[in-house]
Amino acid sequence: MRVIGIDVGGTNTDAALISDEGIVLAMVKTPTDHDDILCSVRTALEEIIASHKGPFPMELHLSTTLPTNAIVEGEGDPAAVVAIPGPGMNLLDYDFGFPVYSVKGYVDHRGRVASDIDPDEVLSAARQAWNDGARALAIVGKFSQRNNSLELAAKQVVEQAGLKFSQITLGHQLSGRHGFPRRIMTAYLNARVAGIQQEFAAVIERLMSENPIIAGVRILKADGGTMGLAESCVRPIETILSGPAASLTASLALSRRTEANTVVVDIGGTTTDIAVIAGGEPVCQRGGAVIGGFNTLVRALYTVSIGLGGDSEVRIHDSGVVLGPRRVGKAAALGGAEATPTDAAVALGLAELGQRDKAIAALKKKAAGAFASWESLAQAIIEAFVLRLCTAVDEVYRTLENVPVYTVSEILAPPDIRPRAVIGLGAPAGVFIPLAAEQLGLPWEILPYHAGANGIGAAAARPTVSLSVHVDTEQEQMIIPELGLRKQIKQALFDQKQARRAAVEHTLAYAQGLGLEECSEIQIVEEEAFNVVRGFHTVGRIFNIRAQMRPGARRVR
Amino acid sequence: MAKAKRSVGLIFFPAFDWCITPDHPEREERLLYTRDQIMEEGLLDIAGIYEYRPYVAEDKPIQRVHICVPSVARRVSEPHRIAVGGSMLAADLVLDNKVDCAFALLRPPGHHANRVVHGARGFCTVNNEAIMVEHMRRRLGPSIRVAIVDTDAHHADGTQDIFYNDPGILHISLHQDGRTLYPGTGFVTERGGPAAYGNTINVPLPPGTGDEGILYVMENLVMPILEEWKPDYIINAAGQDNHYSDPLTNMNFSAGGYARLTEMLRPDIVVLEGGYSIEGALPYVNVGIILALAGLDCSSLREPDWKPDCLRQPQHVMPIVKNVVSEVRRQWETRHQVKREDVFGRGTNYVRDRSIFYDTDQIVEKQHERIKLCNDCSGWREIYSQAAGGRIGHTQVAIVTVPWLACRNCRREAVEAYERLQTLGRFDQVFYQDCERDEYLCAPDHHEPGAL
Repeated sequence: MRVIGIDVGGTNTDAALISDEGIVLAMVKTPTDHDDILCSVRTALEEIIASHKGPFPMELHLSTTLPTNAIVEGEGDPAAVVAIPGPGMNLLDYDFGFPVYSVKGYVDHRGRVASDIDPDEVLSAARQAWNDGARALAIVGKFSQRNNSLELAAKQVVEQAGLKFSQITLGHQLSGRHGFPRRIMTAYLNARVAGIQQEFAAVIERLMSENPIIAGVRILKADGGTMGLAESCVRPIETILSGPAASLTASLALSRRTEANTVVVDIGGTTTDIAVIAGGEPVCQRGGAVIGGFNTLVRALYTVSIGLGGDSEVRIHDSGVVLGPRRVGKAAALGGAEATPTDAAVALGLAELGQRDKAIAALKKKAAGAFASWESLAQAIIEAFVLRLCTAVDEVYRTLENVPVYTVSEILAPPDIRPRAVIGLGAPAGVFIPLAAEQLGLPWEILPYHAGANGIGAAAARPTVSLSVHVDTEQEQMIIPELGLRKQIKQALFDQKQARRAAVEHTLAYAQGLGLEECSEIQIVEEEAFNVVRGFHTVGRIFNIRAQMRPGARRVR
Repeated sequence: MAKAKRSVGLIFFPAFDWCITPDHPEREERLLYTRDQIMEEGLLDIAGIYEYRPYVAEDKPIQRVHICVPSVARRVSEPHRIAVGGSMLAADLVLDNKVDCAFALLRPPGHHANRVVHGARGFCTVNNEAIMVEHMRRRLGPSIRVAIVDTDAHHADGTQDIFYNDPGILHISLHQDGRTLYPGTGFVTERGGPAAYGNTINVPLPPGTGDEGILYVMENLVMPILEEWKPDYIINAAGQDNHYSDPLTNMNFSAGGYARLTEMLRPDIVVLEGGYSIEGALPYVNVGIILALAGLDCSSLREPDWKPDCLRQPQHVMPIVKNVVSEVRRQWETRHQVKREDVFGRGTNYVRDRSIFYDTDQIVEKQHERIKLCNDCSGWREIYSQAAGGRIGHTQVAIVTVPWLACRNCRREAVEAYERLQTLGRFDQVFYQDCERDEYLCAPDHHEPGAL
């Protein structure tokens, strides 16, 4: 099916239409109207549809910034959290910055209920939250990913009492990963923006009924994948930071390189974003996305942003050149006031843009007294840019290679993630990427369509689905928090193979349940197996498995 | 977001793929539940708590402490090298002022490993703290004063052995009375060698001692001694088997008690030792230690099965604890009045003959140790060590060690002894260890079969 990808960015809304064969049929760029994001989507969509010949049905892929903006700007429904922390770190020390009401009850690390909730206490906490102005609620327990029964019971108490919260988010639904404070923040934000996403979904559905040519809608996620519209209303928090993810997806879609390990460098006017692809897949953040100062459990791509770009400020310091992190405005060649790295490239004939003589004049002015000629300054700027970029790339890899690991084998034989090629995006990439790649000793590739890559990325994105499966054979339980599943199992029948198979089957069934027909391969991405020993006898096994649909992007030409 | 009042470097290395045997207390999942608890509490997201990845230690730092027979390569596996590297990294982080304090939360443990290593004893092969301390001394010079406070329920006999005659180290071990628990040592009479008499302090506690007793020892003995001795660095060898739920010991300490102990001690570096209540104690004790190091509130930290009864000591415990404390205090206060010859005799050497059992590897070692009684330095040392059993067959080695700040005579005598011992033909190998010059020799050198 043909796909329209729309990415609502900070400045522009990019849209792209790609054919069944992955050929770009149309691209549109319109300015984003921040007061009416929907209008921006509609305009882009209509322009694309107008250019779209024939009766072919289309799927719409949307990267929405509504929840992201609401979080950053402190908007959305007033929300509060009822937390079930049990003993541990003092909840006050987390300093959440939003209302959290703490109630009794505790689940331990094995998922055993050590003490129950008190329904009266939960109810009075929820009432208090309501009276304090909250209209959306999150209920979050420590270790609820191991046992969701306290969260479910608390929700039932609130609902039966007739409190009309517009949304009740339960912590365990959002992630199978550990991290009580992150779960609290994720659930809180999710509750806060759910109303916004629901409203947005309603408009999109109307848009679909007006344009029957749109056969389906998928929403982009922070991990570069997509999810269904209905799912996005339950877990709107997953949509945050999908813009940057779209740009990396675009590079996966457009790259011709066959190396499994690459570094993706997106050079913009103000910043350069560095992302890492290892083993053919983008590397994700260790803990989860960070947004508006909140640490979340949202699976997000790992990108490092540095203050270096084509429009960076050039300062002369000790007869050397320092670039950024400030942006000075457009290049002198385009009528700007000051010489920028772009001007250095234009002046030296490395790029053709605007008026070269203006670039040279600006460089001459800057060079005065410190450099013998504008040529030597321009050369120094280019060198400084490349050096800074290479240093940043190196630091990214050093950081990733020093991520703590917990097994002897990972210390002794760490996975090889070092890049074998550099993939460049963005307008200045053509100048700087070949030079940087030469310094890194790597082959390189500059991707086409740098002007509207995010639209292509949105169009090329594929669904992602991932589940965490926790099996505890001593307690004869299998738990999949994201599905709210707690299932009795027979210990004697359950081994590691069985656990693996269960993980794959549940992931596949879940994906199919979401209407994903073209399910790509299900893979096990994390796996742990431990004995449970009591008094020198093994009494059970614990398996922690994470299974996912292999992420990736459609190839685009 | 939460913010630490003191910054903490955490070297967490649970070695999920290492065990002594799959059902041994020192097995893969020992720190699994601790990992779950640390992650769930979100401790790694706290501003000021930083996690680091350990490195693999090379031979040299290990040789600064141990004589591994026949070689470091043969005795020390990769997991041990990572635990050693992690401990050294903890010290480096503090020495380089990258953090205010550090916690090497890692395994395998080390405090039962003696200077001479024929195999593993008490689940330990090499001594993480001792190697770390020697590494610190290598960086800062021999004048630094380091206090090691070992709060494992088992006597830290290995650490005691290594620093027994070392005037730069104060070693305090709190443990369950050796008459009731492995390794059966650690009595108040073990007070240090001729050059460091009084610097080894043992506080054997009766079974059943809980928060009240241990915190009494901290307040009335450990803290005053530290205040007087003024160490440059305080290291806590943090075994967690004083916990009321530990399967191998009989003590009554709680996670809250461990946190309180850490708050009082304010150690610069904490190194994990034993503790085998892996579900009921370790997750909570370790979270408590990290929170206490970071200066965060520990008052809501409690084991799920905690009841006030858990902490109640048997009635007879407190009087015994108080007796031990007053006896050890008396010893401490009068340590300079003791005449050396009253303890070590009037000869020119201090001689010690011991039989050492390696319970983990089923080896028996017979050791004859002779330390020169020298007025100018802490004296060179000669050890004859004969070991048999386990999978090592039979071996007989001689060892010569030269202390930090050795006098010229002692170094000369040690060098001569090293030459002479090689000519005797009685020994499979002769070792020479000179910390100050960082020189470690062995004749004949051990080569792995197949190696050049």
